[in-house]
Amino acid sequence: MNTWDKRLVALFVDKSSQQWVVRDPEGKFWFVPTVKNPWEHRQPFDPTEETELEPIPRHYIHMLDLPF
Amino acid sequence: MNAEQTRLEEAREQKSAWKKWGPYLSERQWGTVREDYSESGDAWNYFSHDQARSRAYRWGEDGLAGISDDQQRLCFALALWNGKDPIIKERLFGLTNSETNHGEDVKEYYFYLDSTPTHSYMKYLYKYPQEAYPYSKLVETNRGRSRNEPEYELIDTGVFDQNRYFDVFVEYAKESPENLLIQISVHNRGPEPAELHLLPTLWFRNVWSWYGAPERPNLQELAGKNASIAVKAVDAKLGERYLYCEGDVDLLFTENETNTQRIFGVANRSPYVKDSINDYMVHGQKEALNPGKKGTKVAAHYRLTVNPGQCQMVRLRLSDAAPTAAATFGSQFDEVLKARRTEADEFYKMVIPASLNADQANVMRQALAGMLWSKQFYYYDVDKWLEERGSDPFKPTRKTAPRNDHWHHMYNGDVISMPDKWEYPWYAAWDLAFHVLALTLVDPDFGKDQLKLMLRERYMHPNGQIPAYEWNFGDVNPPVHAWSTIFTFILEKVQKGEGDKEWLKSSFQKLLLNFTWWVNRKDRSGRNVFEGGFLGLDNIGVFDRSAPLPTGGYLEQADGTAWMALFCQNMLQIAAELAMTDPDYADMGIKFVEHFLWIASSMTHLGQDVSMWDDADGFFYDVLRLPDGEAQRLKVRSMVGLLPLCATTVFDGKALAKYPELGERLRMFLEARPEIRAAIHDPGKLGVAGRRMASILDENKLRRVLAKMLDENEFLSAYGIRSLSRYHADHPYVFRADGQEYRVSYLPAESDTGMFGGNSNWRGPIWVPVNALIIRALLQYYTYYGNDFTVECPTGSGVKMNLYRVAEEITRRLASIFLKDQNGRRPVYGGTQKFQEDPHWRDCILFYEYFHGDNGAGLGASHQTGWTGVVARAMHLFTTSTPEQFLALGRGAAVVETEPTQRRRRKPATTDVGRKAPTPRA
Repeated sequence: MNTWDKRLVALFVDKSSQQWVVRDPEGKFWFVPTVKNPWEHRQPFDPTEETELEPIPRHYIHMLDLPF
Repeated sequence: MNAEQTRLEEAREQKSAWKKWGPYLSERQWGTVREDYSESGDAWNYFSHDQARSRAYRWGEDGLAGISDDQQRLCFALALWNGKDPIIKERLFGLTNSETNHGEDVKEYYFYLDSTPTHSYMKYLYKYPQEAYPYSKLVETNRGRSRNEPEYELIDTGVFDQNRYFDVFVEYAKESPENLLIQISVHNRGPEPAELHLLPTLWFRNVWSWYGAPERPNLQELAGKNASIAVKAVDAKLGERYLYCEGDVDLLFTENETNTQRIFGVANRSPYVKDSINDYMVHGQKEALNPGKKGTKVAAHYRLTVNPGQCQMVRLRLSDAAPTAAATFGSQFDEVLKARRTEADEFYKMVIPASLNADQANVMRQALAGMLWSKQFYYYDVDKWLEERGSDPFKPTRKTAPRNDHWHHMYNGDVISMPDKWEYPWYAAWDLAFHVLALTLVDPDFGKDQLKLMLRERYMHPNGQIPAYEWNFGDVNPPVHAWSTIFTFILEKVQKGEGDKEWLKSSFQKLLLNFTWWVNRKDRSGRNVFEGGFLGLDNIGVFDRSAPLPTGGYLEQADGTAWMALFCQNMLQIAAELAMTDPDYADMGIKFVEHFLWIASSMTHLGQDVSMWDDADGFFYDVLRLPDGEAQRLKVRSMVGLLPLCATTVFDGKALAKYPELGERLRMFLEARPEIRAAIHDPGKLGVAGRRMASILDENKLRRVLAKMLDENEFLSAYGIRSLSRYHADHPYVFRADGQEYRVSYLPAESDTGMFGGNSNWRGPIWVPVNALIIRALLQYYTYYGNDFTVECPTGSGVKMNLYRVAEEITRRLASIFLKDQNGRRPVYGGTQKFQEDPHWRDCILFYEYFHGDNGAGLGASHQTGWTGVVARAMHLFTTSTPEQFLALGRGAAVVETEPTQRRRRKPATTDVGRKAPTPRA
């Protein structure tokens, strides 16, 4: 099982749903859609052992206009 | 002063920013360490050529025949499409390290034909096939070849058969620092009319995506005037610029942003992404382009049909001037372009000795053009990069980065001379020191800036180490920075009558830190014997010298120790120069004299059992010190054993005359240590004109090493000094440890192992930079020993030469790699008929990374004009100086030109690169 660093904001792609997944500063995971103001439209996401998350470099976080 | 010299002067005095725009665009940003955010550090595969057209870069841009401003905010380059390729040609294609049998390699034909140092005029040639570019064939065929086979090249695919290709010449001419004329000439060399989609492209480097910058730059179409179309470019920091495109052409707008659908599988926020122009051209996707005619990336679409043997031209202008009623592309455009060409010729008439024939002048000019085209804006904020990959050096939760973890102080954002903008699009510290030797022929200010840059706090590690290169800044390169520094200082001093002592002084302070780093880190035993690992010579050793030895223990390196002896000499030279006006440096002078003597004498290991010098062989070797205390020489006859010969410098004694007490201290030091005087060249012994010489080799050792170096069955090839003796062709060196055999054989061409990526070879080929060091050393010995010291050259030939003539002969052999022989063939091109015979190819010169040890054919990186460009300095030296000058002036003679009366007129000749060769000086 993945062990997550909860203090680190991170960006991923969920391979199955082909969506951005953001781990916020509290360690919570969110689906972030490709829309204007994407963070306002985020949806909670619970990765499982089967979840295939591809890490994306942190500089892409700015592209999603995240508030942190 | 000619026009280009005036521009250089204006740039130096910061009156006009003539160097603001230049060829600062890389030829490969993909596959670099900077763009690599993988866990494993697999830079080549993390960001591939296939991704490059769709994925925005983080740290730079790349393109074909491109330019940018000196902070790379706005870029311009060519894109091409022949209607058959699966993608438009926006950047050079090449194979990655793992895709070929001899390491990464660009598979394209392009040539740097001309450049002035301010880039007021530049010319570039790209050869674009009319048939589909054989991407897959190159990958598959190379992948199937063994290390014992040659690489499969683009020319081997047959895509240039029947001359079905376009010669695309790109010329840039600056009307003013901010007004650039661009002329693209497309020649159809094939037998039938052929269509080409020419796509001159302007774009902003993407900085807005990564920082959420509110002021995003933009491009938009303006109504054209005078039969032209214009693009207005606005950037908060750069201001406004305008790209004028001749004729009525479509402008294709998109954004320089990642196609997240293609790269990550996530829907795009906007349909306008980095590869939209490609998708429009190749797949007809009109919706990929912004109909609002705005964006951050735009291409003008010229659809040309060129008849056989014919040429079509396209003209553009990149300027800070808004549209006016004045003609943008009228006769004035042609006049400015013509004037800049003429001024480039005038400038090079001052640089290239008139005694060189047309072919030699062409080689020298293209060598310098390559040096100037190899400038690149290099951006790398290591702290930020580490943070972005979760390796923030100050966070407790950090991950370990695969490389450069301890270099988080680094912030690079400068125009730097690259070894090769495709194969090595990153600076390499010791390469750079050699680059400066050639660059100072045309732009001493740029050379000084480059040397200073590496010593700045944004580059040099706080512990004093000079960064090696981005793959591992902590690797250890030979310490040649001080040598290049004193060379550059003396050059300016001789040319202007006064050197830049403030620059020298500040360089000296930082070099002291670097010297101390070496002494404290690389002398394991404290006995002045140095290690250093591979030290730039990759696979030269029987083992990988950067890895733990299979035997345990460690190596005492002949090259490492010799490099440090030379470093001492160079520091002594600098201290002596500074001491002439500042007595504080006199003490530093004596410090480096003593340190040199300790290091030099350690090479014969006074009081030790096994020394690096092998008296039976008359050669220096690395010494392997085993854990049990045993020691043995690794008897590989290689450049490692020639480098002690290079650690020699002649002194004119002026500092000793000014500070007699220093001479007294030196005398006392030597009298107390007679064994040192006996082991090396006696520094108290005076030579020609009362000179003194610091040298590891006394006369006996020098003669013995030279006998091997000048033996055609050992090091001396028809094209320079080999990196490994040919002796090992029949006598491979074999070492056995733990049941495993390690072997070094003479390999005149490519490496047969994967050591150091397998893309370089120091086991036989000729490398120009170390040849330059040998030439320097021979001239030093000559100014000390004079005409009475002669040796057989080649060994066994019966021909006796003094050491000036030997240096000249080695230079002649090196230069002959590039020059036409009596049959009109250039050794550099080996058996490649098209390069040898075709009038559209044969006078375009490539300056490879290294050369076949027996036939001079070019090997390795094809555009490493970088340190191979040093051949221009060597050619210049022996056509502008005489042995008499060397004896009279000593080291200053290396940078003094003879009077024009000693030159002879040469006949102008038309070259096949499009223009007449420079006309001779009157």
